[in-house]
Amino acid sequence: MGAISRMNMMLSKDATVQESGFTNLLSISMGVDVFTADWLYCDRISSYVARMVSHNRTDSLLYSNLLSSALNELLETAFRCNGGVGSMTCRILRRGARDRIELEIPADDAVLAFFAETAAALARSDAADQYRAALFADGPVDPRMGLLELSVDYGADIEIAPIGSSAVLLAADFNLEPEAAHA
Amino acid sequence: MLDVLQHPFTVRFDENNQEFSIIGLVRPQTEYDLRDLTEKFRRAVGAVRGTLYVNVKRLVRINNVGFRVLSSLLVSSLEGRSDLRIEVVTSSVVGWSTRKFSVLSQLNPRIAVAEYDNDFYPGQAFVEDDNIIALLRTQTKLTWQHERDILPRHGLRPGMTVADVCCGIGDFAVLLHKQFDPARLVALDHSKPSLSYARKVAADFHIEGIEYVYGDASEMLLEDNQFDFVTCRHSLQIFDKPELILRELFRICKPGGRVYVTNEKVSHCLGEPRGESIQWTYSEVAKLVAHFNHDVEIGPKTRKLMIDTGFGEVKMETFMVTNTDSEPQDFADIIESWRELFAGKMATMRGDDAAFIARLRQGFDDHIYAALHPKGYAGWPIWVASGTKPL
Repeated sequence: MGAISRMNMMLSKDATVQESGFTNLLSISMGVDVFTADWLYCDRISSYVARMVSHNRTDSLLYSNLLSSALNELLETAFRCNGGVGSMTCRILRRGARDRIELEIPADDAVLAFFAETAAALARSDAADQYRAALFADGPVDPRMGLLELSVDYGADIEIAPIGSSAVLLAADFNLEPEAAHA
Repeated sequence: MLDVLQHPFTVRFDENNQEFSIIGLVRPQTEYDLRDLTEKFRRAVGAVRGTLYVNVKRLVRINNVGFRVLSSLLVSSLEGRSDLRIEVVTSSVVGWSTRKFSVLSQLNPRIAVAEYDNDFYPGQAFVEDDNIIALLRTQTKLTWQHERDILPRHGLRPGMTVADVCCGIGDFAVLLHKQFDPARLVALDHSKPSLSYARKVAADFHIEGIEYVYGDASEMLLEDNQFDFVTCRHSLQIFDKPELILRELFRICKPGGRVYVTNEKVSHCLGEPRGESIQWTYSEVAKLVAHFNHDVEIGPKTRKLMIDTGFGEVKMETFMVTNTDSEPQDFADIIESWRELFAGKMATMRGDDAAFIARLRQGFDDHIYAALHPKGYAGWPIWVASGTKPL
């Protein structure tokens, strides 16, 4: 965990139960400038966090692998799409078999506009077609691709909401446990 | 805390088998980061006729940047190559890969996706039979009364991080958990029915802290150098390539940690009275099992296997489960299960004639007779080997 310890992040285990019934398992907060200094942080954070919260799932190794994949896509989205200054916060919450990942990302007008467009795209009924199109499109990677995959392949409910005018909440709820049990 | 393979990925092309393998973690920032993989794949495609196997069984994770590159490579490689088809070989162990790669089959029917887990090991059907569960529980009960004293001699201490590889129905892990209170206990097996049973037992008995995980012992996703003590009991003998398993046990063991294996030499099972019949049957069982590429004579060979794998300070000892140090009926029940497995299922599958099978059964019946006879003696010898992974 050398890479993570160098990131000056704040990690807390906070078992607060929210109104939604989700319990906050852990939070990581770090300057967005630090987070975006190295692409590998997406992988390191997702692997570490997934492991931390998977030990009591049906198959800890499988669950951790799936959760890491989902979290990594969200973190890579945040890595590519952020604006302004401030902290990036990642929270993992749990309600029974359901997990929720929340990212709070500093955002400027352009980033807020991107996420508003993405929310609209995800709400459409052709998300699977959009994902496939993004996968085989020429040119640069579509930054929406990770969110489309979470929606299509993981059956995630994705919530995107501005937090005032300088941040955005990106959240994904999903249930990986039945998949783990039947894999 | 990282305990899934985290190495940078590697790619291999086996021209003989026309197999392109990607192993590890592929999470590039840009497509440019995969230029080496791209070049190797294109070269491989150029050398292949017929079917190209793309092995992603140990591709633990891939992000969408990486998947986009790989998808594009697979699809474009078929363009202008009507002779070529691609079979992507996935594993359900990693969780996501079969579903993710299936999108390529929908795009091009010459890309097939095959999950290989059902063909993990030859003879798997023998060890996944639900009827075996009772046998396994009794076996563990009888061996544990020896092993609980033997394990500390081979280095197991309370508070260690422990992996029980090929944990089966998980009963050994439960006993180990109770007796040695490990800091962490991961129990891995390739049999989903066995793991389901293990989890149910743990839940029924309110046993928490054992991580039952699904995996292939010869290609585990567990990270290198993680465990103080790794156990693998009665399992090398049911794999056709036990050296692969030992190499994996070595890999996940911490330097300075120890790996502990137990195995049989089944032809040495013994009993009196009727010793001759018993001896004949168990010698034939060894040959019968060898027909299915398993070596139930491996016990005394494990010292060499461990040394060849790189272990140091290899310790060997044997113990004998007998009708005199356990309930004779328990031992008789085990022999009865062996009779049904070997003289029933396996001999029939090999195509043995009725007279041979009858004689084979008779030896088991005589062993049961010896076990239950008030003056009889029946024994089942087991070889223990352990070794240290050098610092």
